[in-house]
Amino acid sequence: MRLGPTRRPARAHLRRTGVAATCVVLASTLAACGLDSGSGDADDDEIVIGISLPLTGDFSEPGKGVQRGYEAWAEHVNETGGLLGKDVRLVILDDQSNADRVASDYERLINQEGADLIFGPFSTRLVVPAAQVAQDYGFLFVEPAGAADEVFEQGFDNLFYAAPAVADDHYNLLAEQILAMPEDQRPRTAAYATMDDPFAQGTAYGLRDKLAAAGVETVVDEVYPPNTTDFSNIAAQIADSDADIVVGGTQYQDAVNLIVALQQLGYQPDLAAFSTAPTNPEFPSAIGEKVDGIVSPTGYTPEAQFAENQEFVEFFTEKHGHAPSEDEANAWTTGEVVAAAVEAVGCADPSADCQQQLIDWLRDNEVPTVVGPLSWDAQGRPESAHLIQQYVDGEIRIVLPGDLAEAEFVYPKPAW
Amino acid sequence: MSGSLLLQTLILGVLLGGLYALLAAGLTLYFGVMRVVMIAHSAFLILAAYLAWFFHRETGLDPLLSLLVTVPLFFGVGYVMQRGLVARLRPATLTMMSVLLTFAIALTIEGLLGFFFSGTQRRINLGYSGSSIEVLGAHVAVVKLIAFGLAAAALAGLFLLLKMTRFGQALRATIQHPEAARLLGIDTDRIAGFGFGLGLATAAVGGTALALDSTIYPSLHWHWIGPLMAIIVVGGLGSIPGAAIAALILGVGQSLLQIPMGTTWAQTVFYVALFATLLVRPQGFFGGRLAQRF
Repeated sequence: MRLGPTRRPARAHLRRTGVAATCVVLASTLAACGLDSGSGDADDDEIVIGISLPLTGDFSEPGKGVQRGYEAWAEHVNETGGLLGKDVRLVILDDQSNADRVASDYERLINQEGADLIFGPFSTRLVVPAAQVAQDYGFLFVEPAGAADEVFEQGFDNLFYAAPAVADDHYNLLAEQILAMPEDQRPRTAAYATMDDPFAQGTAYGLRDKLAAAGVETVVDEVYPPNTTDFSNIAAQIADSDADIVVGGTQYQDAVNLIVALQQLGYQPDLAAFSTAPTNPEFPSAIGEKVDGIVSPTGYTPEAQFAENQEFVEFFTEKHGHAPSEDEANAWTTGEVVAAAVEAVGCADPSADCQQQLIDWLRDNEVPTVVGPLSWDAQGRPESAHLIQQYVDGEIRIVLPGDLAEAEFVYPKPAW
Repeated sequence: MSGSLLLQTLILGVLLGGLYALLAAGLTLYFGVMRVVMIAHSAFLILAAYLAWFFHRETGLDPLLSLLVTVPLFFGVGYVMQRGLVARLRPATLTMMSVLLTFAIALTIEGLLGFFFSGTQRRINLGYSGSSIEVLGAHVAVVKLIAFGLAAAALAGLFLLLKMTRFGQALRATIQHPEAARLLGIDTDRIAGFGFGLGLATAAVGGTALALDSTIYPSLHWHWIGPLMAIIVVGGLGSIPGAAIAALILGVGQSLLQIPMGTTWAQTVFYVALFATLLVRPQGFFGGRLAQRF
């Protein structure tokens, strides 16, 4: 997923309207306190799921996307018979995008709100402290948004990332595709430009290392700070190198600015791949007609043909009037993963025994989800791959892997 | 570094410097006229950029046409802001209090932009966004050329206005010696208001130029205020030619340094220049003593 700690920093403190949303959430939480004394008894007629999300502050925009996904999942579960025959009830707190607050939120969810289960927050920066609390209490911790390496290097044995792949593996299918080309068609040189951010860098460097090992020479390797607004000089270096392919480890605005700057310099690569931005619905309107051939990895597309996904898209679209985004899908996936473990083990309570059974079950099993079947390694890294999408005739289409492709992978790309 | 890359970088640096000069012009004017540190200047730039984007989205017309509305509008807002807010600050603490006041205005503008347009990044998509003209093997982007042309025209207009008109004379007199100007019958309060309005009118032009070739979002102004402050200090507070020269030198310097040092370090050129100026020549390199000439 696109979830480095500095993801979309610009959206940061913008949605003052979030305050109102928070009040609603807090009000419902207070009501919840009155209704549920927090014992999580086995004979409760509902399953309480505790969640803390950044509904205000730096990550409020994706945070609210995750909230929509969780709420849609809960509604869907309740409409289709519940979990173990019980209704699920979400208790959502606002951590204000604050890493100190998220830890105390999970303490409160477990100790005072009587959470039977917990779901993860948004962003690497919040996932790590939250997972630590979950670990201390022996809770299963499935999270929708922590793709950077540091999440999996903390030694958590209760954590599972509910998405297809970690940042380093986002471009895997593209690497395979390039390396499978005949020698004489394969690119010889590559230029990389990446934001100074663990997530964005991870994506580009995963591809760089694989291509370099296969003999594709790295001719430009630029790192820029997240607040960079002028990309003309980076573009000038890339254009001057005349690299066969250009790869961006990018978020949104930097990718858009860099692509336009490259176009202004008349640079025509055989392949242009950028993480995150091209899958954003705003992207084609920002770049104009010159998007054809641009490639991007993505963890989710509403078009994916998994049966679970079709049901999800239909349900979500009916509720919200538009297809779900990646944030919403990640949250839904988290719900699916936990629900699969609960149904398989037959328990959903805070006891150490039940939580350990849930953890053990997920270690050994594969779960069908809206992003495809997921399974995990011992540190909680998912073992699938990101889809590769490409703009074909102005529309973004899945081109890799072959069995899910909606269009043929175009190489070399048309001129932009 | 190859010759073609050097030429390309120089061209990009000059174009960038021109934009910096335009964006900094208003800032140095406020300080020259009334010792006001105007933190909200870059927020008004982003506001103008949003208005240009909004105008383009709603009408489909070229965003440059929005200047017909935004320039007089910003002039009026500047006049009202000076007369209604800045002029009420006590002269003894004016510089410091103006920082607080304009900081609050910047936050207000940012909040309102987020409220009305959301935090989503926006970009004006013009048919010629990616077009360029080839000069000796280097590419000059059309939008950057337009932005540079706007900067040159606006700065030249500002310079002529200050040098050639009675209003300009009155404004300069107000800056150089307010008491003497008052004795000569100049309404210095009104002139100061017009001076502030003029500064904000340059923000309308600068913001529109910025929007032509950049993705915009409400908090973008925080990235601009630092470099712009550095430019006006290096150029000599209150000196418009000084700000223009400093902007060009720093723009070209940033572009050239970016190749060997990378983007992160190249950005520090502004702060290094700022510290060096404060150490060696606190009044700035190109202006005289604070704002004595244009």
